[in-house]
Amino acid sequence: MSTQAPAPTARRSGSANPQQPKWTSTGGRAPSTGAVVRTALLIAGAILVVTPVLWAAMSSFKTQAELAQTPPTLWPNHPTTDNYTSGLQAFDFVHFLTNSVIVTASATVLTLIINSMAAYALSKYNFRGRTVLFLITLSTIMIPLQVILLPVYQVIASFGMVNSLWGLIIPPAATPTGVFLLRQYMLTLPDEMIEAARIDGAGEFKIFLRIILPLSRPALAVVAIFSVIWRWNDFLWPLIVAQDESVQTLPVAIARFASQQAIPFNQILAVSVVTILPIIVIFLILQRHIIAGLAQGSIK
Amino acid sequence: MSVLAPARARGVRGWMRGKNLAPYLFVLPNMLIFAVFTIWPAFNGFNLSFYDSSNGRTYRPVGTGNYTNILSDSQFWGVVQHTVLFTLGFVVLSTVLGTALALMLNSQRRGRGALSAAYFLPVLISPVVVGIIWKAALDRTTGLVNQVLSAIGLGSPGWLVDSSLSLISVILVGTWIHLGFYAMILISGLQSIDTSLYEAARMDGAGVWQSVRLITLPLLRPTLMVVIILATIAGFQAFDFVYTLTGGGPVGATTLIIQYIYENAFSYPIQYGLASAAAVILFVVVFAVTFVNYAIGRRSESI
Repeated sequence: MSTQAPAPTARRSGSANPQQPKWTSTGGRAPSTGAVVRTALLIAGAILVVTPVLWAAMSSFKTQAELAQTPPTLWPNHPTTDNYTSGLQAFDFVHFLTNSVIVTASATVLTLIINSMAAYALSKYNFRGRTVLFLITLSTIMIPLQVILLPVYQVIASFGMVNSLWGLIIPPAATPTGVFLLRQYMLTLPDEMIEAARIDGAGEFKIFLRIILPLSRPALAVVAIFSVIWRWNDFLWPLIVAQDESVQTLPVAIARFASQQAIPFNQILAVSVVTILPIIVIFLILQRHIIAGLAQGSIK
Repeated sequence: MSVLAPARARGVRGWMRGKNLAPYLFVLPNMLIFAVFTIWPAFNGFNLSFYDSSNGRTYRPVGTGNYTNILSDSQFWGVVQHTVLFTLGFVVLSTVLGTALALMLNSQRRGRGALSAAYFLPVLISPVVVGIIWKAALDRTTGLVNQVLSAIGLGSPGWLVDSSLSLISVILVGTWIHLGFYAMILISGLQSIDTSLYEAARMDGAGVWQSVRLITLPLLRPTLMVVIILATIAGFQAFDFVYTLTGGGPVGATTLIIQYIYENAFSYPIQYGLASAAAVILFVVVFAVTFVNYAIGRRSESI
């Protein structure tokens, strides 16, 4: 890909994301050369990005012989689902999927609860030590689990959480990024509502539950999306904690499956395809929210 | 706690009323997990780096022995070299391509949603699975890439088996994973730029390139800084996709620092001392690089 000058973004009608069915906003004039080149480049780049995934997906329907054919076939000549049936016999997909879903869902719920509580305190209360606590939260961004995995593992081991799903769920749950995003959002909520509710005699926790949480829904959605992607894809930490097959999540199980020499590669590809389908389906359903959320969350 | 005195809206008198205890209770769960699983282990990890153990149960104090050992470990220097090269290549490629992609996508009207989704696809796939897919696609004989290359007469390079090419392959795959994500961040930065500036530039007869160079890039600088910092941190911590793509090979040519720490801590022969020292060194380097990036970003903003 090369850098290509974008067509001027002038004549925007003020909105950041115009929905225009036509080529140009100037009433059906032919598109400029710049726009044509840009579109061609974008499409070429998109094809480059997507093709390996599509090719791998297609290859999972091919026989060993066809996979090695030259010239390559994009579409399988004799599509077979053998790789799926034998792959899923050798790989207990449902079991690992269940673990992944349990870990992802529990960790995300836990993250939302504790992050939003912390964010509320850090955004709406004046109390001794607030600044210090906020700085501590921010500084933990610099200390990801990956770097301190040995000492964290020792803590987990002393709690007897090795080979338990709790060991996968609890340590990464207190995400500093989540606290930061939620705090930024809650700072924009008016204090008057809280004061009014206090005058009405509502308890502090009730105010948080009934007023703050419902109003913070957009920010909570962003943190939830982040958390789901992170926990679903987590690899190094689960690799260490879940040594036993009974508690392994999909990424760990797949990595072990792929490292077995005896398994034909198109079977490994078949299992890989099955694992990426759920997240792609979820993404397509929530696409608008995710892109907007990522854009919103990353920039503040 | 601290001696910092925040602006106290209410006096100390109502100190033990529920209202004043509430913030501490709200902060408690998150802070507890931070304390137990991040802050305490971080200090402990620093402490550990002055001890050695071969089983994780009995520790003997070795002073700065771990550090002198690691600095004379030839494998470690190889790992440092690969990690720095990988991070450098990954940050440069991600930033340059990400900016180009963001500029193009941002001014694209037709099919923007579908194109964004296509570029974003790799972000969604587990890095472990990404490694598997690219291991298939970069296979010397049966892989998609070489089948295309040999069809147009460019031979078939050993992307993953040739030690002079393997790190480049890992950089490219790493960039492929993150490109869509960084482009999204940059697009949100682009959209916060006031479009009337472009109008004014056009009135003054500025061409497209001049607008980009004189308006877009300077105003995009804070966002670029965010992307560079994120990519640097991600680069130093790359592990998961490399694990399934090359496993750190061939002959250690793509073994990065996280893999070095992991292997010394969790696979035989266990060398806790080396793992702990490497973790401390990694933390110091990432902290320093981030700080320098941040300082440069801050200083250039004031110009």
